[in-house]
Amino acid sequence: MTTPVLEVSGLSRFFGGLPAVRDVSMRVPAGERRLLLGPNGAGKTTFFNLIAGDYPPSQGEIRIFGQNVTRKSANQRTHLGMARTYQIITLFPKNTLLHNVVISLVGLRKLRFDPWSDLRRQTSLWDEARATLALVGLDHLAERTVMETSYGERRRLEIAMALAQKPKLLLLDEPLAGLSADERQDVQRLLQSIPRDVTIVMIEHDMDVALAFADVITVMQHGKVVVEGSRADVVADPKTREVYLGH
Amino acid sequence: MRTPAFWLTGLIGLAALLALPWLVSSEYYINIASQIVIAAILALSLNLLIGFGGMISLGHAAYLGVSAYLVIYLTAHAGFGHLAGALIAIGATTGLAMLFGYLALRASGLGFLMITLALGQILWGVAYRWASLTGGDNGLGGMKRPHPFGLDLMHPTIFYYFVLVFLGLALWCIARFIQSALGQSLQGTRDQPRRMRALGYNVWLIQWMSFVFAGFWGAVAGLLYAYYHQFVSPQALHLTTSAEALLMVIAGGTGTLFGPVVGAALVVILKNVVSAYITRWLILLGVIFVAIVLFMPEGLVPGLTRWVRSLRGRSLKEKKTTVVSAITKDRVL
Repeated sequence: MTTPVLEVSGLSRFFGGLPAVRDVSMRVPAGERRLLLGPNGAGKTTFFNLIAGDYPPSQGEIRIFGQNVTRKSANQRTHLGMARTYQIITLFPKNTLLHNVVISLVGLRKLRFDPWSDLRRQTSLWDEARATLALVGLDHLAERTVMETSYGERRRLEIAMALAQKPKLLLLDEPLAGLSADERQDVQRLLQSIPRDVTIVMIEHDMDVALAFADVITVMQHGKVVVEGSRADVVADPKTREVYLGH
Repeated sequence: MRTPAFWLTGLIGLAALLALPWLVSSEYYINIASQIVIAAILALSLNLLIGFGGMISLGHAAYLGVSAYLVIYLTAHAGFGHLAGALIAIGATTGLAMLFGYLALRASGLGFLMITLALGQILWGVAYRWASLTGGDNGLGGMKRPHPFGLDLMHPTIFYYFVLVFLGLALWCIARFIQSALGQSLQGTRDQPRRMRALGYNVWLIQWMSFVFAGFWGAVAGLLYAYYHQFVSPQALHLTTSAEALLMVIAGGTGTLFGPVVGAALVVILKNVVSAYITRWLILLGVIFVAIVLFMPEGLVPGLTRWVRSLRGRSLKEKKTTVVSAITKDRVL
């Protein structure tokens, strides 16, 4: 049996007395498209933050590429080959799109500790950033600051910054949230173009889009996994309807 | 992208700094200029933390004071030569910055501010109470200025150029640092620390390295401070010295290269020159700061740049309107 890319066992997180994630276990093999579904407050983003290392778990264990990362910091996990996007766009608004991607590229290189060499003169890095922007169709806006771009373009930039790091595990937190119909199609096409050697775990509310994208779906409610299985299994499961419709 | 106006302003500024001893005849004013330059180096180092790192420190006088105490003690009381004394003072003070950075960066925001304040005040207390070593309230003196390369630093003009070289070095090194990957990472940690962590950056380490770099330049300022005054007292370590450096940075413009230099000039001139004419000069200082905060909240350098740009934009607009109305008039006629 091959080592799963992501393995979570008995993961819990309490904020004071409030359980945000309760005893969640999950196994995501290489290349899988895993979807996390659930109403607001189900604990999906907290679960993401636990995997990414933003919060330490109260209980449980997280393994990435077979390595126990439960006590590792967020930046150490990134160096193992994990990248993520945020539900609330988190970019450098005064910088150009190109600069944002360059910062993403530098994050995995030793260059990040260089206090002397002028970053502007690292031409190979800027070329690579430009190529990454072209991948998400933003190369024509490369020199614009983030402040001068639309919401949809920012969402694509978020994905570009994650892809720039050539991750093996990609966590996407509502990549389609707040987008217009056209923008959604663009981002959807972009997500479908990501090669299969990248394992994707995604949170998304749009059922149609999500179901078309996912191999396996995990439905969460009140911090717990309620249903897990293939698209057909999850759609057919009465608990899914209960979670979404309340009956 | 730097505009021609930027280079022109820079050139005029540089020429004015170089010609200053000829522009002001009195030795008194040349000495004031030397004080401004030393204060500017301290403010530049603090600006690395505040402006580029988002770490507001109220203990930056620690590096100025410790470096000054060390160099005076080593050269005037322990028999060390000037070069050895200077190198040990800078090295040991940078080491102290490593320790203080390690302690202070356990917190962020207000917590960081309070830890730096506490560490600075501990050092002030030590300098004040450990009289057998530091001279207590009477301070430590007896130092003579060195004669590097045969230069007589007792001469005000030569001393001014001597400290000016250090200011030039500080500006150059800090400008390079800001444009480097580490400097850019520091600015990233200021704006989006969480995102930086997710991108693989060790935010703590970046901030600590920058803290130490700032401490190094604080130590250089302390060395020059000791050379200038040939004396140091607990006042150099006191909260008011840290607060003055903070005011210089805020008044000149945080996160800009030349803002702290302008801020240092403002504070030193008010403190030394204006105070000779106005007894309650602190009130004037307060009024000026309130005015800066009200009219140029981003500081003098970025604020003036904004004003000049808006004036130029307005005059261009007026010129355009005049041309358009002349053409329209011409057509009508």
